[in-house]
Order: sequence, then structure tokens, then C-alpha cells
Amino acid sequence: MSTINFAAREINCKIVYYGPGMSGKTTNLKHVFSKVPGHLRGEMVSLATEDERTLFFDFLPLDLGSVQGFKTRFHLYTVPGQVFYNASRKLILRGVDGIVFVADSAPNRLRANAESMRNLRENLAEHGIDVRDVPIVLQVNKRDIEGALPVEMIRAVIDPKKELTLFEATAHTGGGVFETLKSVSRLVLDRLSQNK
Amino acid sequence: MIEPSLALYGDAFERVDRHLEELLGATGVRYCLLVDRKGFVLSHKEALWAPRPPALDSVATLVASNAAATAALANMLGERTFSEQIHQGENGTLYVESVGDQALLTLIFDASVPLGRVKVQTKKIITQVAAILAELQDAPPVQFSEDFSKGASALLDDLLG
Repeated sequence: MSTINFAAREINCKIVYYGPGMSGKTTNLKHVFSKVPGHLRGEMVSLATEDERTLFFDFLPLDLGSVQGFKTRFHLYTVPGQVFYNASRKLILRGVDGIVFVADSAPNRLRANAESMRNLRENLAEHGIDVRDVPIVLQVNKRDIEGALPVEMIRAVIDPKKELTLFEATAHTGGGVFETLKSVSRLVLDRLSQNK
Repeated sequence: MIEPSLALYGDAFERVDRHLEELLGATGVRYCLLVDRKGFVLSHKEALWAPRPPALDSVATLVASNAAATAALANMLGERTFSEQIHQGENGTLYVESVGDQALLTLIFDASVPLGRVKVQTKKIITQVAAILAELQDAPPVQFSEDFSKGASALLDDLLG
């Protein structure tokens, strides 16, 4: 659950962008960073390799403003998508309040999407938590690429019961980025008021 | 949720605050932060003479992530945890010590401050701060009304369109 600092009148929520390697998690954050006014966001921290693949995480603090006298802030994180960085992914899920699962529309990434969702479930389970206990939004990214798979096909392997809110996106142009973030933020804040 | 929330308020917050203030005075460090394991700043103090601090959100996030990675390493090596971390540069030092399983005390100081003094003084207050945080475990959960959700939604619309 969110960290609440009554004395400082602050509420902090952690949102993690999860998904397979190269699906566009960092691109989502970069777009948010580029569009949100400077006074409402902090520094973007990227711990990346030389070829700009995420090594540990990207981090971007975002101020929502004051709600009932509480300064409300979202901390956005990405995880490294590559399979062999699982230890890092597990660490970053610690204390998560909401998740954006970024799926890749490329035809050859269907299996990677499914594996990543399975990995998310496993990592959450290792923290003793069921995937249904965390607000999750599904973003199907890269809708503009040639041969993009039908959204329903991607959903069928990630969310066959159609339980997640889905957004189509082209994160490199910003399409769907804010809609996705808004949706997951709203779910997190709703939970806070329901005290779950 | 994976991690319990930490709700610092009232008397507990003031007591933690006082301990940090004491630590600042006793050690001569520039900045002193109490960070939770999720990477959020619970409380911070800075010396009057200290220059403008770095982005505290980023410092807290990196400190907590580093501590989590270090703890994972400790487990791999058969240790429950490594309770302290020291990063020394040419001009400055970052010293991090665990406050129980919930938080991390982080001190940032320059070369004029002896590390030994920092370690001794920090260990003195860790037990007291840990006891205060333990008391908070039994505090009733924080309640927000429906109005909170509505107000937050309106702000989300403003920020994200």
C-alpha cells in the first residue's frame, strides 16, 4: 500500500511498468517526462547499459498536486525486460501499488508477452501476493508497426478472461501513454480511498 | 499489498524528527534522511550550512534499490542481510544503515567528517528510531473518504488530460 506521511502531508504511490524487453516501457516514461511541466515532475533516473537497454530500472517522480491537503505523488518505475534480469525485476516490484503491463504488438513477440506476464505472476507470488490483488492495466504498444498482431490475439495470451482494462498505444509518438497512466493512477487512488 | 504502508504522523513523526536533528548535530553531516524500503523519504534534515540538496526522491529511490540489491546478494551468500553500506568518493561519503526491516537511515557528508564518528552516533539512535517505527505497526489503518478519490480524479484529469 502507498506510503503515507501524515506529518509531511504526503501520499506516495509506486507504479511499475512491466513487460518483455523492447516493448516500450522506457519510451512510456520518456514521453511522460517530455510532456509533463517541469514543476510537476522530478529528475528521470535511468540505469541503463551503453546501448540504452534498461539494466536495473528507470524512475520518474510525478506530482499530482494536493488532494484534501495531502501532496500526492506517483513514482513511476520500469523494469528491465530481458529474461536474465529477473532478480532486478523482483526487487523493483517491492511495494508496488499499480502495474502497467506493456505488451509488444510485433508478430514475433507473442510468446515473449506471454512469458513476461507469467513471470509477473510468479514474481508477485514470491512476494506472497496474488496478481488480482494489484491494480493492473494492459497497454498494447507499437500499434503502428507493420504486421502488428490483432489486439485480441495479444490479449488472448496475456489476459484471456478479459479482466484488465486495455489501451492501444504507440508510445514513441505518445499515443495512449497518458490514457494508460491515468487509468492505472485512478485505480491506485480508488484503492487508497477504499483502504484496500 | 507486497509491502505494508508506513504512516508517519503525530508524536511518532516528531520523535523521529528529533532523533535526526540530534544525529545531524552530533555528526556534522550535511544531510540525514530516513527512507522506507520502497524508496520514499519519510523524514529528512539538512545542516543549515549545507548547499541545496540533490533530488531527494532520486536519492531515496536509489538508496532503497541499492539496499534491496545488497540484501539479495547477502541472501545468496548465506547472510540474512548486510546492515550497512558505505560509498566513499574523493570528496563525499554516503552511509546507509538499516533501521529494522522497514527503513534505511542515510547520511551524506564530506571528507571533513570522520566515518567512525558517523557510525558510532548512527548506531546510537537506530534502536530508538526502530522502536518508534515498530510502534507504528500497530497503528490503525489510514482512512480516506470517497471525496479523496473524486478530488484525485479531478487532478488526474488536469495533469494527464
